[in-house]
Amino acid sequence: MTSPTVARADRTDPDAETVIRVQDVRKAYGDVQAVDGVSFEVRRGEIFGLLGPNGAGKTTTVEMLEGLRTPDSGELTVLGVDTARHPERIKPRIGVQLQTAALFPQLTVVELMDLFASFYPRSLPTDQLVTALDLDEKRSARIKDLSGGQQQRLSVALALVNDPELVFFDEPTTGMDPAARHALWGLIADLKTRGKTILLTTHYMEEAEVLCDRLAIMDHGSIMESGTVAELVGRRFQDHAVHVTGLSALPEERLRSFPGVSRVADEGGETILYTRDVPGTIGAVLDAAEALGVDAENLLVRRPTLEDVFLDLTGRALRD
Amino acid sequence: MRALWTLTVANLKSFVRDRAALFWTIAFPVIFIVLFGTIFSGGGTPEYDVAWVDQDGTPATGRMRDAVVGTTILVPVDQPDLETARAAMRAGEVDAIIVVPDGLGKALDEAASGGAAPLVQLTVYTDPSAQASAAAISQTVAGVAGAVNLELSGRSAVVGVQVESLQTASLGAASFFVPSILAMALMQLGVFAAIPLVVLREKLVLKRLSATPLRRHTLVGSNVVVRLLLAGVQTVIIVGIGIVFMEVGITGGPLAVAALVVLGALTFIALGYVIASFAKTEEAANGITQIVSVPMMFLSGIFFPLELLPDWLRGVAVLMPLTYLGDALRQVMVGGVPLVPLAVDVVVLAGWMIACLLISARYFRWQ
Repeated sequence: MTSPTVARADRTDPDAETVIRVQDVRKAYGDVQAVDGVSFEVRRGEIFGLLGPNGAGKTTTVEMLEGLRTPDSGELTVLGVDTARHPERIKPRIGVQLQTAALFPQLTVVELMDLFASFYPRSLPTDQLVTALDLDEKRSARIKDLSGGQQQRLSVALALVNDPELVFFDEPTTGMDPAARHALWGLIADLKTRGKTILLTTHYMEEAEVLCDRLAIMDHGSIMESGTVAELVGRRFQDHAVHVTGLSALPEERLRSFPGVSRVADEGGETILYTRDVPGTIGAVLDAAEALGVDAENLLVRRPTLEDVFLDLTGRALRD
Repeated sequence: MRALWTLTVANLKSFVRDRAALFWTIAFPVIFIVLFGTIFSGGGTPEYDVAWVDQDGTPATGRMRDAVVGTTILVPVDQPDLETARAAMRAGEVDAIIVVPDGLGKALDEAASGGAAPLVQLTVYTDPSAQASAAAISQTVAGVAGAVNLELSGRSAVVGVQVESLQTASLGAASFFVPSILAMALMQLGVFAAIPLVVLREKLVLKRLSATPLRRHTLVGSNVVVRLLLAGVQTVIIVGIGIVFMEVGITGGPLAVAALVVLGALTFIALGYVIASFAKTEEAANGITQIVSVPMMFLSGIFFPLELLPDWLRGVAVLMPLTYLGDALRQVMVGGVPLVPLAVDVVVLAGWMIACLLISARYFRWQ
């Protein structure tokens, strides 16, 4: 699916495997430093995630990559193009998926796709995309009459109209119900198997864990840490996490003295103990609970996840 | 160019398929014009008040006056002289003036007694911008004159009719409100362009389109082309109804009218973009369009003359672009008496348009 134009551009790229290179990029809106010295790279064929809470600067970063905003300083290279200087050169070569597919509610699926195709110097045949995204039955249906799932598939189809090598998904599943979310995850994973490079932003831990080959955790305009999910978790936690409620009254030093406990965190009244010795820690927790006269039924043991990494990095939970 | 074409076609398809939008664009001016037509035209058999200036004052011309009354179409109102009659016509008290020259009575008497009489002309002053009534009046007078000549059978005609034009200050109601409604429709078409624009931004459609190679001036250009086409459709509907059903005589050339329609539409579309630059939400856009359009509708001399407004409100009215579009359209379409010279109207509208373009270029946000 790679065109000759793209192949030529690749030869001029000093590192063929790097599709996106971001170096010390900054962007302020008035007094707010939205992006504060961000650097990362995305390699060909991977799904790369920017994970962080709302307002972390993810969307601003992506919009600069898409050529929609100009950085105050730093370098942005997308497919070998300096997008800060030549936004018009990158737009024909990338795909952008936004949740909004209700662009022209009165047009039909085919009409809208043909319209988008007309914006690009070259495009895939509409029929091919309609079939690929399972919209054959809805070819002549008005956009406004599509179901949520069909609109979602259409929004992906529109992002693929120009057969891009690189597709951006900005908060693709925000506000979706779990079924719709899983359906879109399937579509994104499918794009990867077709050789597309994907950059997505999300504030859903689970989404990042399921989809991303590598990811960067962003907060307050900076990247705190990046790597694969296993790297990010393994770098900090070789341990299990033991959750328990009712022990907030105990001082942290006391909790830290439990057998095998290396680290303690508090998430909204819930105590999280990271431990190498799960049975020993649980025994100590039960003893402490009995001594305090509280119920220890909320006891939970699990492997650490990205949520723990984020909590450890920022001191707060992502799910706020 | 391809994108401008495809986007314009897509916009037009969207518009035509959106029944509500289509209905309001076409029905709104029709409703207004029918409403006003019903209020002002009264209905029934037409009856015209005509000033009767009898410079002869003999019994013979008195009989002619009776003949005019006998038509039941013309109601003579006696006026002492032509100047007074002109003033009455300008004030809208009469629709036309009939001047009976000195010597007509003598000529008629001579003709009746078999002598040779000269041809004496009645002069009828009518208002060319009220085409239908002007025609009806002059034909009726001609009919009366013909009947008098017929009575003096076998002789050459004694009474002739000469028609003169007198442009009046107060146009017939229909002649006044047809250009006014056109101006109002163009204002609304432009100002209300703000709402869909804000909706497109709120729903991130503008952002989505910005992420394609589509250029922004193509996007704006397409919206303007669509609005101008709609302005054209509304103009044809309003002027068409005016001519066919309201008997409004359009004296201006189609090119001049079209040029003003385009200028007016562009000015108000630019104003719509200014509103869209400052309205963050659809609700805000709705509110601001009302705040901008409603006072303009009532204060810019469209529904009633500016003279009726208190001084301070008139001061507001002279700032409004709609005042000048209405004035310009009335001047060009029906030969209305200028509020200001046409060139001033055009300059003020162009000034508004340029100011609005500069403001929206500075403050309009795509996301």
